[in-house]
Amino acid sequence: MKFSLFLENFRISLSAVLANKTRSILTALGIIIGVLSVTLMGTLISGLDRSFESSMSWLGKDILYISRYEWFSDMEWWEIKNRPRILPEYVEKIKERTDYALAVAPVMQRGAALSYEDKKTRTEIFGTNEDYMETISTDIIEGRFFTNNEDRSGARVTVIGHGIKDAFFGESDPIGEYLKIDNIKFRVIGVLEKQGKFLGLFSVDKQAILPFGAYKRLFSRRGWMRLSVKVPEDKLEEGMDEISAVMRHIRGLKPSEKNDFAINQTKAFEKQYNGLKVAIGGTGIFITLLSLIVGGIGIMNIMFVSVKERTREIGIRKAIGATKGMIMGQFLMEAVTICLIAGLIGLFFAYISSIFINKIFPSTLPIGLSISAVIMSMVVGVVSGLIPSYRAANLDPIDALRYE
Amino acid sequence: MSLILLKNIYKIYNVGGEEVRALDGVDLEIKNNEYLAIMGPSGSGKSTLMNMIGCLDTPTSGIYEFEGEMVQVMDDAQLASIRNRKIGFVFQTFNLLPKATAHHNVEIPLVYANINRADRLDLASEALSNVGLSDRMHHKPNELSGGQRQRVAIARALVNSPSIILADEPTGNLDSKSGHEIMGIFDGLHKNGNTIILVTHEDGIAKHANRTIKLLDGKIIEDNEQYD
Repeated sequence: MKFSLFLENFRISLSAVLANKTRSILTALGIIIGVLSVTLMGTLISGLDRSFESSMSWLGKDILYISRYEWFSDMEWWEIKNRPRILPEYVEKIKERTDYALAVAPVMQRGAALSYEDKKTRTEIFGTNEDYMETISTDIIEGRFFTNNEDRSGARVTVIGHGIKDAFFGESDPIGEYLKIDNIKFRVIGVLEKQGKFLGLFSVDKQAILPFGAYKRLFSRRGWMRLSVKVPEDKLEEGMDEISAVMRHIRGLKPSEKNDFAINQTKAFEKQYNGLKVAIGGTGIFITLLSLIVGGIGIMNIMFVSVKERTREIGIRKAIGATKGMIMGQFLMEAVTICLIAGLIGLFFAYISSIFINKIFPSTLPIGLSISAVIMSMVVGVVSGLIPSYRAANLDPIDALRYE
Repeated sequence: MSLILLKNIYKIYNVGGEEVRALDGVDLEIKNNEYLAIMGPSGSGKSTLMNMIGCLDTPTSGIYEFEGEMVQVMDDAQLASIRNRKIGFVFQTFNLLPKATAHHNVEIPLVYANINRADRLDLASEALSNVGLSDRMHHKPNELSGGQRQRVAIARALVNSPSIILADEPTGNLDSKSGHEIMGIFDGLHKNGNTIILVTHEDGIAKHANRTIKLLDGKIIEDNEQYD
C-alpha cells in the first residue's frame, strides 16, 4: 500500500474510533483483557523466576540435603512415618567414607526468642558446624564464623543474620556484643550478608547460627536434624549415588529394602516450580485466548456495523476513485487500529499493575511479551476485520450511493 | 476520435422475476468538449446511463469505449483509475463526507491518485478557490449552505483535472439563485475545454447545454444539437 494512502487510512480509522469512543472501548474490552492477562501472567512468572533463582542460589545447586523426608513426595505418610532420625554421628561417617563430599554440615533448627538490651525478637536459630559456611552461598560481612574448637568446646558464640544486626545494633558494631537467646547469653562473632526472602515467604536475614555443640546442649538433644552435603557441581549424580550408598550402609539396609532417608536437592524445587509455572502459564494463555476470541468476535461485529453505517461513504469513495483494495485497506486499518489501541490500553493497565505487584513481590513487565501481546492483538484485528472489510470492498458503488 | 462511444448498450435488471430494461439498446457518441444534457422522466434510464458513462456500472451487453478503450474488459483498479482521473462526479445530494472539512473532502481524490501531501494541500486549496470558497475551506458540510456544498462537490470533481464532468441533477436540491451560480460554473468549465454531461429534467437547466438527448423507457428518443 502506498504510504500516503496508509496515512490517510490511519487518519480515517482514528477519527472513526474517536467518533465512537464508548462503542470502541466496549468492543475492545476483550482485547484489553486478553493483553492484560497475558502480560500480567508474564510479570508474575518473571517475578517467580527471579525469586526462585535467588532462593535457589541461597540453597545452592551443589548441595545435597539429607533428611528424614523428601521435600516433595507422593509417598503415603505411613510409609515414611517410622523412618529413623538423622543422627549427628553420620557427619563423621560420611566424611570418612566418601570421596565426593567436600563439606558435611549437620543442621538443627528451631524458633527462639532473641533479646539485646531492651530489644526483643523471635527468630530461627540454627545449630551447625564449621562446614556450614561452605554449604550456603551467603558470606560473612563482619567478623568471622566459629571454629571447630569453639564447636567442640560448646562455646556460646553466634553468627547473626543481617536483619538481626539491623534490628538490634543498627549502625553500631555488633562484634563482641552479647545477646540473649532464650535468656542464655551468646557473644556475637560475625554477621551474614543481606539475603532477602526465600521464595518470597520468609526472610533468611532473621537468623542466628550457633555452634552445634552449644545448640545441642542448650536447646535440643533430640531435635529434628538434616545434613547439608556439598559435592562438586559437575559430580552431582555421582555424589548422590555415593552418599546414598554410604547412608544405606550406615542404616544397614538390605539390597531389597527401600531407602529410609531422603536426599534432597534443589532440582526437586525446580521440578515443583516448573509444574507451577506451567499451571500459571497455561491458565494465563487459556484466559488470553478466550478473551482474544471473544474480543475478535466483538471487533468483527462492530466492523460489520461500521461498514453498514458508512455504506454511503464507501459509495462516495468508490465514485471518486477508490479501488476495492483501498476500501478494504481502510476498514482493515480501522479494525487493526481499534485492536492496537486496545492492546496499548491493556499494556498501560498491565504496566500500572506491575508497579503495584512489584511492591509486594519483585517482578518486571517482560518487554518481549508485551510487544508480542500488542502484535497479537493487531493480528486479531486483521483476522476479525477481514470479512467485514471484504464485504465493504465489494459493495456495489451505485447501491452504496443510494443507501440511506 | 470520440471520447465516449456506446454501442447497442443494454442494462437489464431482474426484479422479482420480471425483466426490467433500464437501458434498451442505447447508441451514443460524445465528443470532446461537448455540453450534453440527458433528459427524461424518472425511470427512463437516465441515471443508469449516467452511471454507465461514469464507469460505476457495467452494461449487461453492448460495447462501451472510453477514449478508444474497451471499458467492459477493465478490472476494478482500471475502472477506479478512470473515475479518479478522467471523470469528476457531481451529485444531486452532494455526497460529501459529513465528518470531513471542505478541504479534506476535496483532497480525497488526490489521496487515491497517490499525490504527495504537500501537493494535495495546494491542489485542494486551489480547487476550492476556483469555486469561490477560499474562505470556507475548513468548514464541515453541515456548516455550509446547499450552494456552497455543491461547489465543494464541484471542486472535488475538478481537483484531479478530469476531462469530463458528470453531473446528476446538480441543481435539484438548490434554490434557483444557487442553481444559477452552479450552472455558471459549469458554463465556465465548458468554455475552458471540459466535457460536461448533465442529467436533468428541467428544461431551463438543459438549455445551458449544446446538445440534449431525451430518454424514454431506456431508449434514446430524441438527440438534438443546438448551437448558440
